[in-house]
Amino acid sequence: MTEANPVPFPSLAWFAKLGERMNADRARHEHLGYVDCIAEFAVRDAYGPGRPLRAQVTFVEFSAVDVREAGPADAERADFTLEADPKTWRVMIESIAKGKGRPALDQTLNYLSHFDSPFRVSAADPLKRDLYFRYNQSLQEFVNASAQSVTVFDERG
Amino acid sequence: MADIAEKSLSVASIAAYEREFGESAHEWAAILEENAEQLKRGRYSLHWLDPKDSGWGRRARPSSRGLTYADVNQLPQSGELPKTATWRNFAPRGSIREPYRERMPVVESYTVLDRDEVWADNVIELYEEAKARQWNATRDIPWSELERLPDDLEKATCQLCTFLTEVEFVAGDFPAKWLYRIPQDFLEVKSFLSTQIMDEARHQEVFRKRAFAGGGLLHSAPGFEWALKAILDAPTHTMGTFLLNLLGEGLVLSIFRSGEMIAKTHVDKEIFRRCLQDEARHVSYGVLELKNSLDHAPDHDLAIEELHRFADVGELVILSAFSEPALVEPLAVLLGGSLDKIDQGMEGMAKLWAMFIAEYLQRCDRAGFSRDERCKIPKQAIWAK
Repeated sequence: MTEANPVPFPSLAWFAKLGERMNADRARHEHLGYVDCIAEFAVRDAYGPGRPLRAQVTFVEFSAVDVREAGPADAERADFTLEADPKTWRVMIESIAKGKGRPALDQTLNYLSHFDSPFRVSAADPLKRDLYFRYNQSLQEFVNASAQSVTVFDERG
Repeated sequence: MADIAEKSLSVASIAAYEREFGESAHEWAAILEENAEQLKRGRYSLHWLDPKDSGWGRRARPSSRGLTYADVNQLPQSGELPKTATWRNFAPRGSIREPYRERMPVVESYTVLDRDEVWADNVIELYEEAKARQWNATRDIPWSELERLPDDLEKATCQLCTFLTEVEFVAGDFPAKWLYRIPQDFLEVKSFLSTQIMDEARHQEVFRKRAFAGGGLLHSAPGFEWALKAILDAPTHTMGTFLLNLLGEGLVLSIFRSGEMIAKTHVDKEIFRRCLQDEARHVSYGVLELKNSLDHAPDHDLAIEELHRFADVGELVILSAFSEPALVEPLAVLLGGSLDKIDQGMEGMAKLWAMFIAEYLQRCDRAGFSRDERCKIPKQAIWAK
């Protein structure tokens, strides 16, 4: 069931909507298991050249308990950052929408980030980077929930 | 002949068992006699109602996710995790056991008495996570959606699954080998290792099923076997955990991530994504177990040097698996997209190799074991130009 109100991308509201979706689908996330991390989803150049959108999502147990735009004070909060340019995000989001919540084989988070391009996963601590792998299925389903809303893209994407 | 040999072995084992418990009969039979006598007389002991000085009475309270070991360990009466285990039997940490110590047997197989040979600061968290993130290889994989692949890709997938079926159970057998040597006072570690054994059983199961769903298993390989033997025969738990969880599972984690990337069906994607999550937990235990062991080593320099000596051998033996055509070639075919594009796939494999070694060395550094200068595995693939 796709929600009628379109959600702009890139925007904090888009990630907040994913958080709402996750919290509404608790049973599925209970089945997948705990997710305990702060993930930063970054869209490069979202506000113009060199000005990314950095959305930090705090996952606790089966919920997204906080979604915020990272300010200077939040720089160290995230366990890992998953970052790509708007076009890469857009192709992935469109693929998820087309597959009704399941991306094409070459549009999964792991596929896109495996060789650190076009998505890049970074963390100061390798143990924190490994959280991206420990919760990979949950993170995949977190973004897959974007298919439940209509995404409207900023022209830069 | 084999039957006779087996029978005589069984007879000899029973005889040894009879002898052992015959020799200790004055201890356990005395307990039986006292208990029987009391029961016959209709007397109750009720000594178990007396909590003595155990601190009994404070109740464990669940945190938001339920009642965890961490919640229980807050209570003083739960018993302190000892630096050296002195209870070589099943008496639970936190129970009133001191008055009975002299009359309890010693379990000779409990030999890993040093906490720092097994402990990791994340072990309780990983145990909870492991339980919460269990999955079912029969039901959680959409098997009915599995599509037929072209012959070269199906065979490459089945060969990769054969490799994974072959290697997965060492990661169950290694913790199992040590599990029964670890005393009950280190119950959190034993609990986590039990989940690792379950994880590996599921991985072996899912890859075996995937292979048979595609036609069957293909080739095992001697290089795999030597690598697995090197893990299983590691002289200490920490050394084996380093080789298995940090190096071996780090490598398999990279293979799972690659497997997800190169999967040609949604079913295969799901299999690899589920497995890589489990594998990453095992890697996390390996990193912090090694760190804890080195941080608390009585002679740090000696511990580091011994580990280097072990790694000098272990890395090369692991390399024997990572250089096997039965692993490298199917991965290259899947990366390239077909048998005709195996050369392109080998370029991808070279990238994967460099990435894996870089991550391995980062994890070693994180554990306080700088391996950069001495690593025996080339940092670039041996075929890279």
